Amino acid sequence: MHGNRLYEGQKLALKYYFVAMVLFGAQLLFGLLAAIQFLYPDFLFGILDFSINRMVHINALVVWLLYAMIGAVYWLLPDEAQREVVGIKFGNLAFYVLTAAVAVVVLVYLFIQVGPGKESTIWFITEGREYIEAPRWADIGIVAVVLIFLYNVYATVMSGQRTGILAVLMADLIALAGLYLAGMFYTDNIAIDQYWWWWVVHLWVEATWEVYVAAVGGYILMKTLNANRKVVEMWLWIEVAMMFGSGILGLGHHYFWIGTPEYWWEIGALFSALEPVPLVGLFVHVLYDWGKERGKGNQINNTPAFAWLTVETFGNFLGAGVWGFMHTLPQINLYTHGTQWPAAHGHLAFFGAYVAILIGAIYLALQKKAGLEKLKMSKAGWWAISLITVGVLFMTVALTLSAYTQTMVERGMYGATWEGYFAAQANEWFWQGMCWRLITGLMVIAGYALLMYDMIRLAKKAPASEAEVSTAAA
Amino acid sequence: MEKVSVWSSNRFWRRSATWVTGVSAVLLILLTFDSMAQMKMGTAADLKNKVDKRIPSPTVINYKIDYQLSRARGHEVPIIGGMDANGKSKYEVKEKFFGRDNYSEEEARTLIHKGKLTIQAKNCMDCHTFLGNGAYYAPDLTKAWLDPTWETLAPAYGGKEYAIAAFLQNPPAMAMHERKMPNLGITKDEAKAVVAYLKFMSAIDTNGFPRNFGKIKGAVNAWK
Amino acid sequence: MCIEPCRDVVCTFWSILNQGPMTLTITLHTLIVLPMVWIYFDEKKKMERGDIPTE
Ligand code: HEC
Ligand code: HEM
Ligand code: HEM
Ligand SMILES: [Fe+2]
Repeated sequence: MHGNRLYEGQKLALKYYFVAMVLFGAQLLFGLLAAIQFLYPDFLFGILDFSINRMVHINALVVWLLYAMIGAVYWLLPDEAQREVVGIKFGNLAFYVLTAAVAVVVLVYLFIQVGPGKESTIWFITEGREYIEAPRWADIGIVAVVLIFLYNVYATVMSGQRTGILAVLMADLIALAGLYLAGMFYTDNIAIDQYWWWWVVHLWVEATWEVYVAAVGGYILMKTLNANRKVVEMWLWIEVAMMFGSGILGLGHHYFWIGTPEYWWEIGALFSALEPVPLVGLFVHVLYDWGKERGKGNQINNTPAFAWLTVETFGNFLGAGVWGFMHTLPQINLYTHGTQWPAAHGHLAFFGAYVAILIGAIYLALQKKAGLEKLKMSKAGWWAISLITVGVLFMTVALTLSAYTQTMVERGMYGATWEGYFAAQANEWFWQGMCWRLITGLMVIAGYALLMYDMIRLAKKAPASEAEVSTAAA
Repeated sequence: MEKVSVWSSNRFWRRSATWVTGVSAVLLILLTFDSMAQMKMGTAADLKNKVDKRIPSPTVINYKIDYQLSRARGHEVPIIGGMDANGKSKYEVKEKFFGRDNYSEEEARTLIHKGKLTIQAKNCMDCHTFLGNGAYYAPDLTKAWLDPTWETLAPAYGGKEYAIAAFLQNPPAMAMHERKMPNLGITKDEAKAVVAYLKFMSAIDTNGFPRNFGKIKGAVNAWK
Repeated sequence: MCIEPCRDVVCTFWSILNQGPMTLTITLHTLIVLPMVWIYFDEKKKMERGDIPTE
């Protein structure tokens, strides 16, 4: 055992976590600005337009999740492989390069915003493609940094212990990184553009990221509940089979209306309809393990991490599974596609599936950093998780009501025109949902402030000395 | 023989996971080859030979475009150059676009290219949806070229394309709602290219999305 | 009456399999799931022979 000391890899993880949490704050701030503009369109009009705020909101989201995901791998890698991360120097260098690049990209987003209709804009300002707007120079930089990361992972596992969790992660990370390449080219054909764009977006969030979460979730279960490795890893393989089995061809649910052949209706509908199954499995698995360990009289080693893991299984099932299924059949999607429906689903799914578990992973790290045998939920931590979870859940409900109204009025009654669009936006059932999004958004932001307070407090705690810990354990 | 449980064997699940992932990936790749072949942009010759293409040649900007229910397909389809008795495109009726209806393949491609670049450079997709994907702050633009509101604005500008181009170059000046589109610094040339792109996009076969476009108009809001 | 002619713009192998709500997906699901039965019995045979090292 490595005792209480942190591996170099784990110190690097803490850096990734720190930037991730800062970007999370930026995400929420720009989401707030965009939400205000829905209600008060003159707010920052012509200075920071909705498109810019929204772009920063969703880019910060994706980037901080990736930061936290990389962080969690650097955290569990030495612990699982039972050795220091190989090539950690390059890993550290990559971290600073990536962070500098992210800072430049954001500054360009905010201060240059848009460019002329030329290739140079695609290279240096923005690619203008939702979620992956980052200009091409940054794409290439990201690929270089990710190659270093993959080298760290592979070299470490090759020369260390190779657990089932690491085996799954190694395969998954290669696929995750490779998929990014599908989003890096330009074409005049918007149908083909969107076809490949979904390879990145869907095959990330509904295949490779889900499998990533199943693997890291297994690790957290072992750490917080001392769950049995063999059982955790068996579940992990089952999850992989079900998630890739439904998620890869489930991609078809984005190929209903973008100039793609009609056979995608069938493939997309029926494969994606099965996507919720593994999410139910994950949910049952965690509750089952919890019940079992409680039955044995065992305590949870890290209540905040475990609480966030529980929110993740619940939120993943509800946000991705239930909310995703609600609009995944083509007969329904014909009317919901391009309305607030995907926004409602996107908020709960991203939060439930990824935000929650990564916050849990950060708590796990903070516990070890502070050298605590057991970490109990603090009052601030409790308020943070409650405000954020309830806030996002209610925001999703509000957006869903708006979405229903938009679907019925704009699509059903008005035939999807410019006039129809604004008839729906003006309906009070619609705009009240937008008010509630603002209110619940403020709730989430208050929760975030408490979360930061709780985490910084923990991070500042001086690590207890080895001796102290061993007496505490005895 | 000793009694064994395959169901709780990690090896069995690992092999299954590998198989399922592998075969799904292979199927997706095969399907992608098929889809890519069908989604390739058509050519001017296709239009001349009346070959239906999911994504037509950019020279469709020389033709009149419509969006009508196809009995055979069971949903609306783009109608290019007029409709025959069977509800199919005739590829005959032309329509002037900025005063011309004889754009060559190359000219049309150049226009579309600039249009698409401008659409990305100005980040339209973080306010609007295209083919239904993007943001929800402003109307879907899939069939914007066919929007009835443009038909009513067209005469005052000497044609629909001139009206849209004027709007794009200074949207606040033509604002229709409190939620305005900002001025994105779109030049005259860029505006023309973007309008060409919108016209071209309205001719993409989207399997009937959006449904009933422009066909119904707020019958239920009768009290207003 | 159960087999419908293909209605899509272009008719390929996949579009012809696309018969109303289920055929194409049922075919693909079968293709994916059936071999798992074989994997099951193969594993069982190996386990019974004791070929598998304990993990
Ligand atoms: C900051 C958000 C924003 C951005 C970016 C934006 N738009 Fe708009 N757009 C709007 C809004 C809001 C309206 C509705 C204006 C009104 O009704 O007065 C609109 C209206 C339109 C319309 C008329 C509506 C219709 O259905 O025909 C067109 C066409 C259009 N925009 C095209 C574009 C193009 C092309 C781009 C990119 C070059 C773009 N917009 C970028 C917000 C935006
Ligand atoms: C963690 C998992 C998931 C996440 C993070 C997620 C997130 C998202 C997001 C953000 C969008 C909107 C994309 C855009 O901006 O256009 C979206 C669209 C969609 N999602 Fe998911 N999703 C997940 C899982 C699922 C599942 C399991 C299903 C189905 C059962 C599903 C069904 C859909 C559908 C049908 C759309 C398309 C909406 C449209 O454009 O018409 N999603 N998803
Ligand atoms: C953890 C919290 C959050 C997550 C995971 C999240 C995620 C997302 C995602 C994925 C989208 C894109 C949706 C799509 O295109 O379908 C989005 C859009 C948006 N989000 Fe958030 N968000 C969060 C918090 C917030 C908060 C707190 C606010 C406001 C106070 C907010 C306001 C918005 C707005 C206004 C949009 C634009 C929607 C549109 O185009 O109509 N979000 N968010
Ligand atoms: Fe999806």
